Amino acid sequence: MTQQRFTFPRWTNLALPAFVLVGATAPLYFAIVVAYGFSPQATDVGYMPEQPIPFSHQLHAGELGLDCRYCHNTVEETAHAAIPPTETCMNCHAQIHPQSEKLQPLFESYETGMPIEWVRVHDLSQYAYFNHSAHVTRGISCVECHGRVDTMEVIYQHETLSMSWCLKCHRNPDPHVRNPSLVTQLDWGLDMSAAERIADSASWRVRNNLKPSQDCSTCHR
Amino acid sequence: MSSVNEPKNTERMWWRSLDEAIVPNEFKSTNTDEFPDGSSELLATGNDRRHFLKIMGASMALAGLGVTGCRRWPKEHIVPYAHRPEGTMPGIPQHYASCFDFGGISQGVLVTSNDGRPTKIEGNPTHPDSKGATDAFTQSSILDLYDPDRSRGVEYDGKKSSLPAFKEWISTYLPNQGKGVAVVVEPSSSPTFHRMRRAFMKKNPQAMWVEYAPLANTNEREALGHAFGGNWMPVHDFSKAKTILSIDADFLGAGPAQVPNTRGWSEGRKVNHGHMSRLLMIETALSVTGSKADERLALSPAQILAFSLHDGANDGANYDSVEGASFTAAQQAWLKKTAKDMGNVDLVVAGANQPPVVHYRVAKWNEMIGAVGKTVWYRPVENGSNATLADVASRMKDGTIESVIVIGGNPAFTAPSDLGFATALKEVPLSVHLSYYTDETSSVCKWHVNQSHWLETWSDGQSLDGTTCIGQPLIEPLFGGLSSSEFLAILAGAEVTDSHTLVRRTFNPNADLWNPAWRTAVHDGVVANTASLETPPVNRKSFTDNSVVGGVGMTALFTSSASVWDGRFANNGWMQELPDALTKLTWDNAALLSPATAKELGVKQGDMLKVTVGKESIEIAALPVPGTADGCVILPLGYGRTFKGRVCTGAGVDIYPLRTSNNTWAASAKVVATGGTNPLATTQLHFGVNTTPGKGTQERLPLLFREGTLDQYNDDPAFARHIGHTLHSLSIFEEQQFEGAQYKWGMSIDLSTCTGCNACVAACHAENNIPIVGKDQVLMGREMHWLRIDRYFAFGSDGHGGYDGNNLESVMIQPLTCHHCENAPCEEVCPVAATVHDTDGLNVMVYNRCVGTRYCSNNCPFKVRRFNYFDYFRRDPLRSTGLLQVQPDYYVKAQSGGKTLRAMQFNPDVTVRMRGVMEKCTYCTQRIQRAKIATKNAWVKKTEAQKAADPRVAIADGSIVTACEQACPAGAIVFGDLMDEKSRVSILHNEKRSYEMLEELNIKARTRYLARLTNPIDGSSAVEGATH
Repeated sequence: MTQQRFTFPRWTNLALPAFVLVGATAPLYFAIVVAYGFSPQATDVGYMPEQPIPFSHQLHAGELGLDCRYCHNTVEETAHAAIPPTETCMNCHAQIHPQSEKLQPLFESYETGMPIEWVRVHDLSQYAYFNHSAHVTRGISCVECHGRVDTMEVIYQHETLSMSWCLKCHRNPDPHVRNPSLVTQLDWGLDMSAAERIADSASWRVRNNLKPSQDCSTCHR
Repeated sequence: MSSVNEPKNTERMWWRSLDEAIVPNEFKSTNTDEFPDGSSELLATGNDRRHFLKIMGASMALAGLGVTGCRRWPKEHIVPYAHRPEGTMPGIPQHYASCFDFGGISQGVLVTSNDGRPTKIEGNPTHPDSKGATDAFTQSSILDLYDPDRSRGVEYDGKKSSLPAFKEWISTYLPNQGKGVAVVVEPSSSPTFHRMRRAFMKKNPQAMWVEYAPLANTNEREALGHAFGGNWMPVHDFSKAKTILSIDADFLGAGPAQVPNTRGWSEGRKVNHGHMSRLLMIETALSVTGSKADERLALSPAQILAFSLHDGANDGANYDSVEGASFTAAQQAWLKKTAKDMGNVDLVVAGANQPPVVHYRVAKWNEMIGAVGKTVWYRPVENGSNATLADVASRMKDGTIESVIVIGGNPAFTAPSDLGFATALKEVPLSVHLSYYTDETSSVCKWHVNQSHWLETWSDGQSLDGTTCIGQPLIEPLFGGLSSSEFLAILAGAEVTDSHTLVRRTFNPNADLWNPAWRTAVHDGVVANTASLETPPVNRKSFTDNSVVGGVGMTALFTSSASVWDGRFANNGWMQELPDALTKLTWDNAALLSPATAKELGVKQGDMLKVTVGKESIEIAALPVPGTADGCVILPLGYGRTFKGRVCTGAGVDIYPLRTSNNTWAASAKVVATGGTNPLATTQLHFGVNTTPGKGTQERLPLLFREGTLDQYNDDPAFARHIGHTLHSLSIFEEQQFEGAQYKWGMSIDLSTCTGCNACVAACHAENNIPIVGKDQVLMGREMHWLRIDRYFAFGSDGHGGYDGNNLESVMIQPLTCHHCENAPCEEVCPVAATVHDTDGLNVMVYNRCVGTRYCSNNCPFKVRRFNYFDYFRRDPLRSTGLLQVQPDYYVKAQSGGKTLRAMQFNPDVTVRMRGVMEKCTYCTQRIQRAKIATKNAWVKKTEAQKAADPRVAIADGSIVTACEQACPAGAIVFGDLMDEKSRVSILHNEKRSYEMLEELNIKARTRYLARLTNPIDGSSAVEGATH
């Protein structure tokens, strides 16, 4: 009995093949993990959840030409570009499509006072503090982070929203700055050459004394 | 690389603790390591790394189960308003004035609401008491709102019932005319409450009405009633007093008038044309006020009575009219020394535990010296009592009272033990308790009605000077519930019973919602010009009863607790873990006694004592505190609750059984050591740097906190910079340059006016989502307070070359938090650059980078960094052992709509830290960011000319206020931009009293101290010779 206690059991013979197997597959495994980590799926680019009401930004912001700030009216004052209250929708929809099937949740919310639960698309980490007003009032257009929302039938995440992506612009703000009064014109500047765009951006950057911060405390507190 | 750094001629020796001074050989280094032995162990009770692996295995298995779906983050919803109220900006906190009643005085507050959640309480700048400051109780009362243990409904006989059922029951069974009805209430300053009382008494004229609070200043009320006739309370203005005599009055300590008292006193401590106020103090226990006194003497209650009866007029040699009041030679010397200053006294105050005769003499004394109308006023107080609690108890027993209605308070727990109140109440056929918790009183009452939190209801009240305050609710009642006025309105059968209408009709019976005066009052939180200060003359003779309890033998003294008051904050984790200002004790009460008495009894800290008063006895751990009068045992009330709260269970010992009607504040006691022990979680020695205590520490301490007398300051205003002599060593590392900095944040802390009241610590807790850790973790030195307040003692000589722990010369209080060194040692050792500088000079902590090596904390010379050993927000605060105990319990996913109740208090602008992350003071970086973003946004919209005039985008001085600064009633903390030469902090940094701690390390700290100034009668008890 005592002899057996100090002898390796028979199954330990499998250990060596197991180590070899792990050693051979590990590089492949890590390669896959790294590749996955940088893929759009991991960064959530293209994330396009189904919303309770199939709201079309293409229709409202694109075809109808509503200014972004008609609905997201807190964007110049607060950290959040708040989703509009049901009331804002009803300003028009009390008259337009008042019988629509798709708008039933809206009418219900208006009557009951219970909010509509939209699904968050642009979801930053809890430890990152982004402030919309700090960007929009200083001439960073919505399009820089959200893409051409005015062409999106269903809203989706256009950029990675990763820290390196943020820092790219904070380190080199041109050509991402523009006249603050043009921030909601998503198609502005498309006809300019790259050099013109950079020159325009630089002029606004100087005029508004923009020194994009790279301090950790700017976003992490 | 040498730094010469020696204090000059310091006569006074400072010690971090009593043990270091008197038993240096026995003193063990258990707590002097920053991370003491065992601090890295997972749990307190013998768990090792193998156990840790088991737990890790279990949690990984759980984590595996949780991974569902292929998206990295859980799906989140955005829930906008259906109808957004006008002016509401989601994400921008709003502030509303309100007030709440504490100890019969209305505390004025400004409550921060984040998207409908009240998250933080500040002082109301327009309130005459608060003027923007708060105390620790007020700061912590926000946590009570989200207490998972609060009562959630109406109960009958311990079973769930409903409010309509209660209303029906009460209307059927409450006897007509109030026959055999007794109402027990807490003292209230609310005009609406008293209006409802009158309505109730009109309907029930035979009812007994009793105001009872265990810590109410009944002796003073009795004495002033005797002196002036009627009900009066004194209102002091310490700012105008030049020489203050305090007879056992801890006016700077915890209590309802702490904020205005502290502000007034600190005002008088500012040197003005070479003068500042002087504070003379005689007291039994070492109090916050005593620690700030210029001349202090510890006396027994009998000695204090003898002193008061003679108005302190001579040296105490013939104070023999009081039994047991013999004075030692040292005490007589002190009295002789101060006797010459007694003539200058222009304000006398007496403590709550002094007998009525002392309060009477103080009133007389103040009148005699012309203080009335200059430094002291009196205010009439409304009191509806037509009986006493003893009357109610005796008539409950003889059956003549059949209905008892208890509104607020907890008399079954707090009533004098000889009344047998709880037992009698249990036998009463009809008993009702309106209460925030289903506490000790609720459990012996038939009905329990849940009380709403003051943030959930309209209220009113009177400030210290009588100004009417209006309190508005910040949130709908989370679990229903009634305010005391609403409850009384129901009992009185009033037509309208909602608190809003009740309060509005008290304000003005005709005022509608849109009445401009009403709206102004609600907005401001106060009704302007309603103070009611008077100067009544003393028109009756003194009491003849000069008897005193506890002249001979051991005396037990019952005091309030600065952490739980009378027990009402016992289930508040922030208050339980707040280290007491002087003993630094958390999570417990203890028998405080003088070192000599402890020696006599043969006990040291943590040894159990059996204290017997009459037939009752309790067992409680001893805690020797220098400066306590010999032969006295100080017992703070309010602990040892039997109510099964998550936090209060097991914390401390119940003192109330020893307290009887005749011995409310003191009793003769028998005290013996039992031989048992109970470890006390005191924090003073935590985060120490020295592993071997010795002369080195003593040499360095006078450099860390610097002090001098007023004379010294008048001779050499820069005396603090001449204590010690510093040669800068060169930095090993490349120094920070801060190129392109727009701002330079800095802080100044005034040691002269700081009283160590803990308001800043509590405010920091509330602002920065700091967890509590529980007693077992505090014992291991793991408390998380970003701001700690250090306390040091100076002892007199024992005549044999050593120091006498019983001879307390002075107490030093020093708040300490991250100094935001420009050449920060912590940054150089972080392997992952998780702590770095930003351009404005903040030493920032990047939680998401931190891997928890704790090197930064090892290298921090101030020891202000705190490490999250656990995910404390998911941990049971008190009980700790076993794998399953480290599970969410305190912060249960709860009954309130699936949300964690506790999480509703979180500041959304501050990250909630996880296990394994280092954290520390950030100078409230979230508040800095808020002001910076707002200022810069406004700047961009300016015209070119305006921009050219302000190229630096300066932030107005005072627009960034850190949480500690905002709370401080003494105004001792000032934060601001050092780049602005005219900012308050720049001016204070340039003041000659200003000095930098550990300057010799060349760390260039952004926080500087202003040296403490004392104003002793002669220079003998002060540091001498510290000039040039």
